[in-house]
Amino acid sequence: MTTINILSLNKTYLNQSAPVLKDFSLSTNDGEMVALLGPSGSGKSTLLKLITGIERPDSGDIQFDGSSILNIEPNKRGAVLMFQKSYLFPFLSVEENIGFGLKVQGASSETIRAEVKRMLNLIGLPGIERRKPGQLSGGEGQRVALARALVTNPKLLLLDEPLSSLDTSVRMNLQEAIRTIQREFGVTTIFVTHDLGEAMAMSDRMALLLNGGIVALDKPENLFHRPRSLAAARFMGVSTFLNGDQLPVKCEASLSSEKIFAIRPEHIRIQKEACKDSIQGVVSDCVFRGEYVEYQVAIDEMTVRARMTMPAQMFSHGEQVYVNFQSEKLFEIHW
Amino acid sequence: MSRYNQMKHTFTYTLRILLYLILIAPLLLFAAYAFSTRWFFPQPFPVEWTMGTFQRAINDSRTLSSMAQGVWIAFLVSILSLILALPTARVLGLRKFRGRQLAWLLLFLPTVIPPLAVGMGLNILFLRIGLAGTITGVVLAHIIPTLPYTIFTLSSAFARFDENYEYQALALGASPWQIFLKVTLRMMTPSLVVATLFAFLISWSQYLLTLLIGGGQVITLPILLFSAASGGNPSIIAMLSLLFVAPPVMVIAFTARSLNQHGNEIREQY
Amino acid sequence: MRGHPLFSPWLSLAPALTIVMVLLGASLLYAVAESMDFISVIGQDEISLNAYRETLNLNSEFWISLGFSLWISIASTFISSALALLLAVWLSERHGDADTLALNWNLAFPHLVWSVALLLFLSQSGLLARWAVALGLISTPADFPILVRDRFGIGIILSYISKEIPFLTLTILAVLRSQSIGYDVVAENLGAGRWQRLRYVTIPQVMPALLAGALLVFGFIFSSYEVPALLGVGYPRALPVLALRFFLDPDLRARSEGMVISLVITLIVSVVAVLSLKIEERE
Repeated sequence: MTTINILSLNKTYLNQSAPVLKDFSLSTNDGEMVALLGPSGSGKSTLLKLITGIERPDSGDIQFDGSSILNIEPNKRGAVLMFQKSYLFPFLSVEENIGFGLKVQGASSETIRAEVKRMLNLIGLPGIERRKPGQLSGGEGQRVALARALVTNPKLLLLDEPLSSLDTSVRMNLQEAIRTIQREFGVTTIFVTHDLGEAMAMSDRMALLLNGGIVALDKPENLFHRPRSLAAARFMGVSTFLNGDQLPVKCEASLSSEKIFAIRPEHIRIQKEACKDSIQGVVSDCVFRGEYVEYQVAIDEMTVRARMTMPAQMFSHGEQVYVNFQSEKLFEIHW
Repeated sequence: MSRYNQMKHTFTYTLRILLYLILIAPLLLFAAYAFSTRWFFPQPFPVEWTMGTFQRAINDSRTLSSMAQGVWIAFLVSILSLILALPTARVLGLRKFRGRQLAWLLLFLPTVIPPLAVGMGLNILFLRIGLAGTITGVVLAHIIPTLPYTIFTLSSAFARFDENYEYQALALGASPWQIFLKVTLRMMTPSLVVATLFAFLISWSQYLLTLLIGGGQVITLPILLFSAASGGNPSIIAMLSLLFVAPPVMVIAFTARSLNQHGNEIREQY
Repeated sequence: MRGHPLFSPWLSLAPALTIVMVLLGASLLYAVAESMDFISVIGQDEISLNAYRETLNLNSEFWISLGFSLWISIASTFISSALALLLAVWLSERHGDADTLALNWNLAFPHLVWSVALLLFLSQSGLLARWAVALGLISTPADFPILVRDRFGIGIILSYISKEIPFLTLTILAVLRSQSIGYDVVAENLGAGRWQRLRYVTIPQVMPALLAGALLVFGFIFSSYEVPALLGVGYPRALPVLALRFFLDPDLRARSEGMVISLVITLIVSVVAVLSLKIEERE
């Protein structure tokens, strides 16, 4: 339906020296869900405000299907928002809430009633038209909010951490629901979150946002296994970085000390006995996390973090171990 | 121990009943004087009841017109205060800006400067510009005590208001005007009602400002009551008092719950 | 709605601020001008301080009225603060919405009507006097003590006390009920007795709020007209009563004196208000 082009956005708030968004660009394909992952203060929410028109950018452009929307009134842009809180109007019933967007556009009451019914079926909550928002659970509230957002057939759906206030089980459930409904509508979606798991589970592509700019943008699986930059790698939970000449495995690349290699914690193995290409170290920390154990192993000056899936051999603090890197899982990091 | 507790319980209970009795006592007192006749001195309780005073009061054109005028003035005052207070309260409740403290201070000056001084000064000013003795003049004067209260009530409501409801409506396609009518005003309704009602009451019970600005041309119920109380027939005084407190009593009875939040703020206006 | 730099908050403040500043500013300006005899109503446009000299003259009634006003204001404030403190402590140990509702109920009776009620109840031929006769305590109205329209302002003080106790009680209760931890309970746990807790925990806690509230009450009583006008006597008169009498005097020269008195009242009340604000800020 809609492709979104965000071009070199800059935004600095009044009375603040540091820019919130710095030369920010992002393009989405039609019907795609892009997750924006970043710590708080990285500019995620500002971006959503610029797209909806609550704030104006200092420079840059935002285009829907190739034409700029910056001069379109906020209420005519067709970019709907869903927040952490449902923000269902407490004085309206579920039906009136979902129908709100249609009503302000002047739709007839029959159309509204039919559309609301269709949406309620879609979100799996048929028959709750008469209820008030106060009578809904957190998850139900967010489903209704999703229905309210989508009923107007928006060009763009913006999700601002819509699940972060929900319990884990409800959350999983809703992740799937949102994903399914989004696909069914084919609505282009930008999804802001600080939860890595959620971003990976839901998005087609994932953008890592740091200090007002995107540091990495790729499919979740690519980003997870082969982050290109140091910042992206740290983001994705990688904490072991080695200079080329530190590598235990000898290959052509390893000769250079200029190059930096990284490896995911689950690709590092710890064992009692020495074997080919293993290095000796001492266990400096050990945390049992149920499905896996996390070890920190000191090798000379360096600390390596490893993650072993259970069942695994257990080691205790101070034990001498051998660390084995799965050489084919090493990847190069570009500064 | 249990005996002591029981005594304590009885004591608490009695004190409470006493408290509630004091609350309705003024109404009972007024009713006793207003609806009785030939209640001569040593008799502790009325002996003969009558509707005569009431009928005379509501057939008296002076009483009626004073009530009508009071209602009309209070209505205008509350509407005007609301219109003036809404944008101000919104900014004070939702925004942080340089000079916010100063704005508060200036807007609250009217609660500090005695109505006596304001009334006397305005009396001279309004005499000059022809507003003395007019409803317009009295309405303007009444706005001085009602406005700070209206602003205070609404701004604390705005401080609790989440603007995301408005953004939500905006993103769903509502125009600024639609948002204001369908979302903002609806969310603020309880506070708006309280603010309006109390602006009404403050104006309704205003004596000094009405006297000084109205200058004997604008007669409201408090003016009649005051002159009756300075040496009139107890039955008439009591009847005028009943008519005078009827609106406040009804309002307080209806808004009792929300008063737990706001009540104390207006007390000194009253 | 947008954070546009041109969309200044002062634009929204302008209507209310203008009204308040124009009305208040103009009224004060005119008051000062009038107090200096600068009124062309009687064709005089020379600044003079005659009215000030006249009013502040040591033999003038002003000083008597000032004393009387201070007496009723201080006595009412002090008594109602003390009683409100006791009532609030007593209520805070129980939880009841009903009590706060009850305290709010007195809003239904403006000061004017409250004074009228006291007049009907406490005057020498009022309801209480009738009951005293019925109980055989007195036999004629003259035997009944003069409680309203008395020289000492007892009626005035009674009226203010009964109206201000609820206000101050609610102020104190708000402080006592806002704390999430019951310091009282902590103190009890540490072994403090009932009076020790009141003395060392509760009173220090509510003192700032009570003081600020009491100053407000003082300012209000000191400057208000209706109650002393209804429940007071011809001599001594409260300051506001004196001011209005002068102001409404057919002799236009007396008006200036009325203005002087009202300006003195305003000055005193403003000082008290600033004090109250400072105390609240320090909290």
